[in-house]
Amino acid sequence: MLPRPLKPQWFHILLALAARDLHGYGIQRAVLDQTGGGIRLWPAMLYRSLGTLEEAGLIRQVPTPAGEPEDERRQYYAITPAGRERLREETATLARWVDAAQELEG
Amino acid sequence: MERDLRVYRALLLLLPGAYRREHGEELERLFRDALGDWRRERGEPGAAFWLAVAWDTLRAAAAEWWRALGEVARPDPARTVGEQMSSLVGDVRFALRQVVRQPAHGFMVVLLMAVGIAGNAAVFRVFDGLFLRPLPFEESERLVDLDETAPEWNLEFVGIAYPDFVAWRRSNRTFEGMAVLSTDGANFYDGTSPEHVSLVEASHDLDDVLGIEPELGRFFTPEEDTPDGPQVVLLTRGFWERRFAGDPSVVGRTVSLNGRTREIIGVLPRTADFVADVDLWLPLREDPDAANGWYLAGIGRLRDGVTPQQARADLLAIHRGMIEERDVNEITSPVVNSMRERHLGDARMSSAFLFGAVAIVLLIACANIAGLMFARALAREHEIAVRLAMGAPRGRIVRQLLTESALLALIGALAGAALGIRGSGFLVGRLAEQLPAWVRFDLDARFLAFTLAVTAGCTVLFGLGPALHAARRTSPTLTGSARATVSARRRRALSTLVAGEVALAVALLVVGGLSVLDAHRVAHIEPGFATQGVSTYRVGLPAARYPDSAARLAFVDAYLERLRAIPGVEGATVSNNLPLSGHWGWFFTVEDAPERAEGESNPVVLMRSVTPGYFGAMDVHILQGRAFDDFDGREDSAQVAIVNETFVRTHMADGRDPIGRRIHGGGGNPWLTVVGVARDVKHYGLDEPMRPGVYQPIRQVPVSVFYVALRTAPGAVSPIPSARAVTAELDPEMPLFSERTMQAILDESLWTRRATSWLIAAFSGVALLLAVAGLYGVISYSVAQRTREIGVRMALGARAAQVRGQVVRQGMAVVGAGVVVGLAAALAMAGLVSRILSQVEATEPLVYVGVCLLLAAVAVGANWFPARRAAALDPMTVLRGE
Repeated sequence: MLPRPLKPQWFHILLALAARDLHGYGIQRAVLDQTGGGIRLWPAMLYRSLGTLEEAGLIRQVPTPAGEPEDERRQYYAITPAGRERLREETATLARWVDAAQELEG
Repeated sequence: MERDLRVYRALLLLLPGAYRREHGEELERLFRDALGDWRRERGEPGAAFWLAVAWDTLRAAAAEWWRALGEVARPDPARTVGEQMSSLVGDVRFALRQVVRQPAHGFMVVLLMAVGIAGNAAVFRVFDGLFLRPLPFEESERLVDLDETAPEWNLEFVGIAYPDFVAWRRSNRTFEGMAVLSTDGANFYDGTSPEHVSLVEASHDLDDVLGIEPELGRFFTPEEDTPDGPQVVLLTRGFWERRFAGDPSVVGRTVSLNGRTREIIGVLPRTADFVADVDLWLPLREDPDAANGWYLAGIGRLRDGVTPQQARADLLAIHRGMIEERDVNEITSPVVNSMRERHLGDARMSSAFLFGAVAIVLLIACANIAGLMFARALAREHEIAVRLAMGAPRGRIVRQLLTESALLALIGALAGAALGIRGSGFLVGRLAEQLPAWVRFDLDARFLAFTLAVTAGCTVLFGLGPALHAARRTSPTLTGSARATVSARRRRALSTLVAGEVALAVALLVVGGLSVLDAHRVAHIEPGFATQGVSTYRVGLPAARYPDSAARLAFVDAYLERLRAIPGVEGATVSNNLPLSGHWGWFFTVEDAPERAEGESNPVVLMRSVTPGYFGAMDVHILQGRAFDDFDGREDSAQVAIVNETFVRTHMADGRDPIGRRIHGGGGNPWLTVVGVARDVKHYGLDEPMRPGVYQPIRQVPVSVFYVALRTAPGAVSPIPSARAVTAELDPEMPLFSERTMQAILDESLWTRRATSWLIAAFSGVALLLAVAGLYGVISYSVAQRTREIGVRMALGARAAQVRGQVVRQGMAVVGAGVVVGLAAALAMAGLVSRILSQVEATEPLVYVGVCLLLAAVAVGANWFPARRAAALDPMTVLRGE
């Protein structure tokens, strides 16, 4: 079982894959965009994160989608239903925290 | 791109092999993408990029290794024993698993190994620097130290006389080159604050002999090395950086030294500090026809294949050939030594003893580890027997057990080496201050090789025995009397091991005790002069400003008057030499003394030129006659001298009253009337014999560089700042230098001896601790083995006290055997040990008895706890348990 809440990089990987299937580099770019350049996933730890999420059943490896260049034999990843569910839960948790914080400030 | 990728591949080697093989390609691809992004966004990747990548890889590697280790440690029933051990990697993994399973065992082995290696690493670092590391010069093994010796003057080294050197250099056939130099000091003044600088005065060929070239400019020319040559100076690298901020345009500029202007002709490289750690180099400018005295140090470069002995014979022939013009060459003769032998030869013995001490500590640590490994092998007897029964080859099991030992030894050695490097840091820091600048203690390949070799040796030492024993084909189902026999044999083997440890510890404790006692006694030798409340420094009067005796004496008179007026100063004196601070040798004859026989030695006499206040300020007692007064040495009164006790013995052995006799210092010197006999002081070191000595009033021998000693009440504030102000009032260009208290000078003279003895003592303490730990382990093991026997005896009526007594007796028998062997070994080494002692006999009974008592007390303690455990056994529980 992965800890709650998820580590930020895991959350962002799930978020990126929720939009569409991606390969490692694609995930790295997507996360960079999502976070406005805040989280740069470097190769080794990105790879470890993918392994961890896969072991936890939140993502899975998928064949290269049609229309994408196949020459580099990049491994594509997709989010699983369990992954989507976990992403929803995490987002809800985060939203509650944000609400609480905004109430305090407002 | 390719280069970056190669670097990344190297980084990936940090990851476990299996992980890398599976995911390496993908990681490289990701890396290439990241690199491309970085280039587009921020340009060429720099430190920030690589730091991030390295950190990323390191984190992943640590996590993956942690995971891999966890998998190894988890027993995997799917794999057979044979598969697990199919390769060395397998062995290492298996060993890791064993270690992780028994962390306490692994920790103990690593700890013992670390303790053992730390001392060895530390001492080897010192030894390497002193005796193994080549000097920082091309073909440095051909460099030799040159000097002259004069046994008849009771001097091992007198220094080289310039005329001798000139003849040697001209006529020798064994040297590629030779050079001489002397060290000196001068006042450097650039208009701001005066500074005392230290100088080398070198003959013009020293650069060729050493093979050095100035970093800037050039070395001295032969013309500059003549009495009337141009006034030039070379800067050392350190002085150039400190005083001129490394400005390359200094060449050609002039500086003022002792009031004379000299042209800077270059900057020397750092390797030139080899000669002496000084500020400036000047040409020697000596005149072969006018020079007298022996004061030069010599360095020669031998021709290829020439030995120092051959070179000495060559020089001796030249030296003897000069006797007609220089009859003194009958007394002096040249000596040729290797640089190390000459400057570090004295350290050889004490470092050998330190090495012996750490070797013993390591041996005892190994014996303890062997004991632990043995116990561990016994615990795994069943597992190994099963493996053997399943057909595992014996060699394989031995190899696997050895791998486990090697793994633990390596971890321990790493920790120990780190500890040793740290521990030796303070030692080499202090040593470096006292040794020639060419002695360096940087870590090098030799250090690495030594540590690895010792580690490998230890692995074999403590690993092989237990491994072979464990792999012996024994049936795991031994029962009854057979098992008892086996365990009795094992107990005997372990007892022998521990007795050996005790013997080594005892021998080392004796040496440690002797050397500490010796250092203590040396430190408490009465020096014969005041050490408390005496502050000293030096000043020099440059000839340009103080050209004659009258000027120098006028300065001294005015100076002393002002120094005495400093509040708190109870006594002030000026002298050419203070105790423990150098030697100035003269030769004296005594009026009406019987002629010395042909070849009888005429020992050199220590000449000291002092002011009348010297004896009071330095607390040197006048035993007979009187001290100097203000009238002594004035031209209108008779010239006088005070001699020391040794002088009376060596020069006035006829027994007549020394007071009123006349002595003569040779040459054009006047006859001096002895007015007093002063007590001997330990001028050359507390444990060094005193030479004959003569004091003369400074009026008779007005030296130009002198020591000042100021006596204050003990605990008073230092008078040095006031003295500096007083000096500046008289002469603003005159710097104070070598400011130290007499106590500091004394402490420094004792430091090496103290450090050596306390280190040996500390190592012997560690040895004792380890030996006692081994003893405790073996006695505990033996009590555990004999639980049944003890239970039976108690059931049959043995009282607790009897059981305790028996266990303690058994332990003490082991200790006794060890002590006897250890004492015998120490006695056998007494001849060797006496060479590092000066005030203690190597057979000093006090130390031997003390070591025995100490060991007995500690050993009883180590035996008592297992004995109490044995006596507390409940016989019924024990018997029921069977």
